[in-house]
Amino acid sequence: MSNKKVFPENKISIFEIQDQIEKALSFSEKLGAAETEIVFSLNESTGIQFKKDIIETAKQSTSAGFGVRAAVKGAVGFAGTNLLSDLENTVKTAVTSAKIMEEDPLFKSFPEKTDSYPSVDGLFDEKIVDMSLDECIRCATDMISGVSSVKNMIPTSGGFSRSVSYFMISNSNGLFAKRKGTAISGFADVTTSSGAVSTAYDYDVSRKKDIDFSILGKNAAELAKKSLNGISLGSEKMPVIFHPFSFADILENTLAPSVDADNIQKERSGLGGRLGDEIAHSDLSVIDDGTLPGGISSSSFDDEGTPTQRTSVIENGVLKSYLYDSYTAGKDNVKSTGNGYRNSYSSAPGVDLSNFVIRFPPSDVIAETKRGIYIHTVIGAHTANEISGDFSVEGRNAFLIENGEISKPIQSVMISGNVFEMLKNIDGAGFDVRSVGGIVTPSIRISEMSVIGG
Amino acid sequence: MNPIQYYDANQIIGRSMTIILDNGKLETISKNTSKGAGIRALCQGSWGYTSIDGETDLEVGIKNASELAISMNRNTPKERIVLGDVPKRKVAGMPQIKINPENISAEEKVELLREIEKHAKADDIKSTRVSYSETVLMTRFINSEGVEKEYQTTRCGFSVSAVAAKGNNYQAGRESRFNISGYEIFDLNNPFELAKNAADTARALLGAKTPKGGALPVILDPELAGVFTHEAVGHASEADLVLQGDSVLAGKLGKQIAIPEITVIDDPTIPEYGYYPYDAEGIPSEKTVLIQDGILNSYMHSRETAGVFDSVSGNARAQGYLMPVVRMSNTYIDRGDASFEEMIEEIKDGIYLIGSRGGQVNTGEGVFQFNAEKGYLIKNGEISDLVRDVSLSGQTLDILNQIKRVGKDLKLHAGHCGKSGQTVPVTDGAPHISIEKATVGGA
Repeated sequence: MSNKKVFPENKISIFEIQDQIEKALSFSEKLGAAETEIVFSLNESTGIQFKKDIIETAKQSTSAGFGVRAAVKGAVGFAGTNLLSDLENTVKTAVTSAKIMEEDPLFKSFPEKTDSYPSVDGLFDEKIVDMSLDECIRCATDMISGVSSVKNMIPTSGGFSRSVSYFMISNSNGLFAKRKGTAISGFADVTTSSGAVSTAYDYDVSRKKDIDFSILGKNAAELAKKSLNGISLGSEKMPVIFHPFSFADILENTLAPSVDADNIQKERSGLGGRLGDEIAHSDLSVIDDGTLPGGISSSSFDDEGTPTQRTSVIENGVLKSYLYDSYTAGKDNVKSTGNGYRNSYSSAPGVDLSNFVIRFPPSDVIAETKRGIYIHTVIGAHTANEISGDFSVEGRNAFLIENGEISKPIQSVMISGNVFEMLKNIDGAGFDVRSVGGIVTPSIRISEMSVIGG
Repeated sequence: MNPIQYYDANQIIGRSMTIILDNGKLETISKNTSKGAGIRALCQGSWGYTSIDGETDLEVGIKNASELAISMNRNTPKERIVLGDVPKRKVAGMPQIKINPENISAEEKVELLREIEKHAKADDIKSTRVSYSETVLMTRFINSEGVEKEYQTTRCGFSVSAVAAKGNNYQAGRESRFNISGYEIFDLNNPFELAKNAADTARALLGAKTPKGGALPVILDPELAGVFTHEAVGHASEADLVLQGDSVLAGKLGKQIAIPEITVIDDPTIPEYGYYPYDAEGIPSEKTVLIQDGILNSYMHSRETAGVFDSVSGNARAQGYLMPVVRMSNTYIDRGDASFEEMIEEIKDGIYLIGSRGGQVNTGEGVFQFNAEKGYLIKNGEISDLVRDVSLSGQTLDILNQIKRVGKDLKLHAGHCGKSGQTVPVTDGAPHISIEKATVGGA
C-alpha cells in the first residue's frame, strides 16, 4: 500500500516529463530560440449527465499535452501537441514560426525565476480525487431529487462534473513551477412538468467537495416556480437590482475586457488613459485576487509562472490598475499582475481575470426599494459592445419589487444601459455574495435604468 | 449475453494553424497537432463514454467505456435505448479542395493578411485585426455493427475587424468568411473588399443614432434572419432538446407553426462550412426539411432520438472526440418571392436590421434576443437614418407567424455554434424577411 501512487504520478511519470522538457529547452536553444517556455498539463475528469429526471451518460476523460512558446528576437511562435512523444517536433514548429515573425523590440522576456510564490489554501481536495463513479452518480441524482421535491417541477437537463488537474511550467530563464487543483460543479436546468411553462437554472462550482447538490436542484426549481405566470410591464425608468448571476454576466462582457491591458494598449477599451479617474460610485471597489483561498480561479502562479497577487482595479470608485500578463506588462514597463492565462495547453496565454471581487457596503437592498425590478439572469450579455460598454439584454426570472418586497414575476423584460454609467449609479448591494465563474459579487442595485416590457 | 448492446469510436488526427495580425503586428502564429479518440458504449439505458488524448488503444478504450456503461446501468437502471436503424444512403462526392492550405508557406499567408489589413485602414480607424485559420481533420469511425468509415475534411477561413473611434465613441465593424474549402477561400471571396466594408461599417456607426425601443415592423437582412433561423427555429428542432422538454416545438409535428411561405432546411450535404459526409455516428449525411410550407415537418436526430421518434438520424456531431450531440449543419429559410424593394415600400414606420453580434435563446420558452450589427430606420417606405446598438427580441412562434414576406435573395453565412460545451462549424442563412411587428430594443 505504501507504494500506491497518487495523482498525477498514478497517470504519468512526472520525472520523465520533466526530463523531456529539460531536453526540449536545450534543443530549442540549439535551433536558435533566445528564450523558450514549455508547459505540460494533465486533466482527468468525470462527468455525469442527466436529461429530464434520467441519468443518461457517464463520461471519463483524460487530456494531456504540451504547449511551447519560442522567442526569436522578441517574436514569439506557439505550437501545441497532445502526442507526448512529439515534443521535439513541436519545439521545431514553434521556433520556425518565431523566425518568420518580425522582430518585436517590445517583448522583454518570459517571466524570471522566482521563489516567492504565495501559498493559497483550499485549491486541492483529496476527497475529489478519490470520488468513485457511484459517488459522482449520487451527486447527480441528488440534484434531480432536489428539483423533484418542488411540486410540478422537472429537470430538463443538467449534470455533475469533477476534475483533477496538474500543470507544470518551465522556461529557459530557469523558472520552474508546478501545481495541482481540483474542482466539482453541478448544473440544473428546470421547467414545469405541466401547464404554463416556466424555466430557471442554478449552478455551483467549488474547489472542495462541499456542494449540497440537492439544494442546488431545489433552488432552481423554486425559482422557476416563483417565475410562473409573469405579468407584462410597460416601459419605464426605475431601479434595477441584479442578482450575482446577471451582474457577473454583464461585467464579464463589459468591464472585464475594459481593464485588460492588451485591449488598453490596442485602444480597444473605453478605460484607456483613465487611471486615477473616478469611474464608479465612491463606495465601489473591485479587486482581482488570484490568491483568494478556495477561489475558482485561484492558484499560486498564473499560466506563465508569474506569482499571483491581489490587484486593486477600482478603489473607492477610482480606477487604479489594469490587468497584465508578462508581454503587456513589459510593453508598459510595469510588472505583470499575474493575469496571464491560457484556455488550455494548446493555446498561447493572454490577459484574463483571476477572481474578480466586487465590493460595496451591503444593506437590505430589496427592502429599501419602493418600486423596481429584480433580475436573476440575463440572456444576451455577450452581445454587449465591450468597448463603449453599451448593452441590451433580456432579463429572465425577473420580478417586480413593490414597497420593499418582491411582488410579482415579470414575463419578459429588456434592459438597456451602459456599464460605465451603471458603475456610477450603483446605490446598493445585498449580503448575498456569490462566486459566479470567478466573479465574486453580491446583488447590486442601480438607481435607475431603462426597462422595456414585452 | 454481452451486456453491451452497442459501441462506437471516433478516432481523429487533427492539424490546425492560426495566424493573427493585430494593428499591423503579427501577433500569433500558432500550430497544433492532436490525436485522440472518443469512445461510447451502451448498456440498456446507460451510455458510458471515454475520451483519450494522444495515442489510443481502441480496445482498452472500448473496455473502459463499457465498464462505465455497465456500472451506470447497475447504479441507475432505466429503460433500454433502442437505436434508430441505419438509413440506406450514399455519400456523393466530397467537396474538392483546390489548394491545400498546408502547401502554402506561412510567409505567404502572412503577406496576404497584411495586404488585407491595409484595406481596413482609413480615417478614424483606431485598430484593426485580421485572423486566419485552417483545420485538417482525419476521422476514422468504427462501431460494433461492423461499420467503418474514414474521411478527411479541410476547413479554412478568415476574419477582419476594424474599430473606429472619435472621443469616447468606439464602434466596430467585422466581416468573416469560413468554408469547407482550401486556400482558394481567398479567391472565392474578395478579402480586400470585405476589409474595406468592415472599416466602412465601423466609421459609419460613429455617426449613427440609437433608436427608441418598441414594437415595430422590422426587416431582417439575410445574416440576422439566418441567426434567427439557427438560434430560434433550429435549436428548438433538435430532437434531444424536444425530448428533454426544452423546446417550444415539442408536440407540434405536422402542425402549422409558421406562415405558409416559410420552409426551413438543414442540409449537411451542401459544400458550406457546416458540411459533413458522415455524422459522428457514421451515418451518411442527408438534408432535413424542418418546416415545409409553414408546417413542422421533422426534428433533427441522433440514432437515439430517431429510435424514440421512429425517424431517421444523421444529425449527430461532435467537436473533436467529444460525445456526439444532435446538431445543425447548414440551416436556412428557403427563398420566397418578395423583392427587398417591395418590403421596404410597404413600411411606414419601421426598422431594417442588418448583421449580427450574437444572440441567445431560451428554447424551452421560445424566447430569444439578438443584437444587430446596425440598422436603418424606415420612414414612409424609404430607408433613412443609420442606427446602432439595436436588438431584436420576441417569441419564436410569434415571429414565425408575424412574418409578412420572404425575399428571393437567400444567402448563407458561416459561423460557429456552441451546445453542450462543444463548438462545431455551421452556416445559417435566409433571404431578407419582413415581420409585421417585433420588439426592438434601443436606449
